[in-house]
Amino acid sequence: MFLRSFFLQTGWNFMKFQNLGLTFVMMPFLKQLYKDDRDALPSVLQRYLENFNTQPVMASFCFGALAKQEEAVARAESLTKFKEKVTEWASIKKSLSITTASIGDRLFWGTLKPLTLLMALFIWLMLGVNFFEIDLPQNTSLVYAFCAGGAAFFAFNAVALFVKWQGLKISYNADESSCFGLTRFDWNKTIYNAKRIGIVLAVGMILFGIYHYLKDFEEVDVHFVTRAVIVLFFVMISFVTRKLRIPNMYLYLAAVVVFNLVCYL
Amino acid sequence: MMTPEVFMLCVLAALLELDTTYAFQLTFSRGIIAAPLMSLLTGDLAAGIQVGVFTELIFADINPLGGILPPSAVVCSAVALALHALGIDLYFAFFFGVGGAILFSFAEKLMRKNRFKWLVFWEQKITQKPSAVNRTVALALATSFLMNFILIFIFTWICGKLMLWLLPYIPVKAQFACKFAYMAVPWIGLATLVPAFRLKTR
Repeated sequence: MFLRSFFLQTGWNFMKFQNLGLTFVMMPFLKQLYKDDRDALPSVLQRYLENFNTQPVMASFCFGALAKQEEAVARAESLTKFKEKVTEWASIKKSLSITTASIGDRLFWGTLKPLTLLMALFIWLMLGVNFFEIDLPQNTSLVYAFCAGGAAFFAFNAVALFVKWQGLKISYNADESSCFGLTRFDWNKTIYNAKRIGIVLAVGMILFGIYHYLKDFEEVDVHFVTRAVIVLFFVMISFVTRKLRIPNMYLYLAAVVVFNLVCYL
Repeated sequence: MMTPEVFMLCVLAALLELDTTYAFQLTFSRGIIAAPLMSLLTGDLAAGIQVGVFTELIFADINPLGGILPPSAVVCSAVALALHALGIDLYFAFFFGVGGAILFSFAEKLMRKNRFKWLVFWEQKITQKPSAVNRTVALALATSFLMNFILIFIFTWICGKLMLWLLPYIPVKAQFACKFAYMAVPWIGLATLVPAFRLKTR
């Protein structure tokens, strides 16, 4: 199940989202569980092929919990009990997928991804790769090219794979009272602390960038002022566009158009 | 015009793009990892780092939450590096890279909408014969790879042709303007990272 969970999003579609992936992940478990009752499998699979959507790393909590509940469904002794367990199964699937998606999106996409990006940028700057200058240096070594990206890759995946593995293990053994193991971790505190580190790094990076961008100037001349104005302008305008929910890429495309207009006026 | 390096770069990009959504999600598709990897093929590692960093920063504010489909960092890096390998300056190549990534996300949205039509057929197959799920997943991966490759290759080919034809006619002023906009990319990206870490949890 752990290895199959890397293919959760294969077949992602706008109608049922990760339904195909969920079925693929759970298939070995279901085959094992219903090995003596193969006729039951089609109706079981129909339940798994219904809507399912969550964050791919945190989805492991859903797999364990659903597997546990599926065992209860398979063990149901009467039709009433069976219906009851299936209803429970459906509500676990729905509620847990929403909860894990909310935590996962904030932790992995909202915090860890930008945090590891900043980490990589700092490593590159310390190695002397100055990406604030667009003139490319000659003879960049392989170590320079991959150490920062590699560090970000390992940092992100260390957390992601740990959560994925533990999520699968804990959620299978935990019950509803601990929200299928979700309460074993203090997610809010983790996100809060990571964001605190992130904001310090982000501000530090801007200051570091300003230093790198302007350090070669010995006097305040027209080039210095031009550079300073560009930095200030784009930092300010980015804050505004963020508030207006305009993506960065449109700001860049607008900058291309505006600079062309300015050059021709 | 399409050198073997550029062709291989499109193949590698199509493979790495699978990591964005369809397989693994181990962040191989992040700009800072994918672009240096792809630059191994073009032989310009410095360009790979720069394009990777700029790509990550320009798309740092869009995350794949729910049904949101962010522009592909892999496509942006691949198009920019391929055009650069063809002799086009990075500040022009990056512009086309961003355009390619935006267009790719529209094409991907269309693919996801239409995938449901054949998925209904496969769902029936799976319920009849459970082992069909493995074939369905393999087929979904293969078609995604093929579509990625076709889209990246065609876009790079069109942009490359267009730019190589246009390049002698592009005035110095336009080059200067594109260079300035390109210089602004790290600042645009870094400025949006600060609000991204707003402490609204707890």
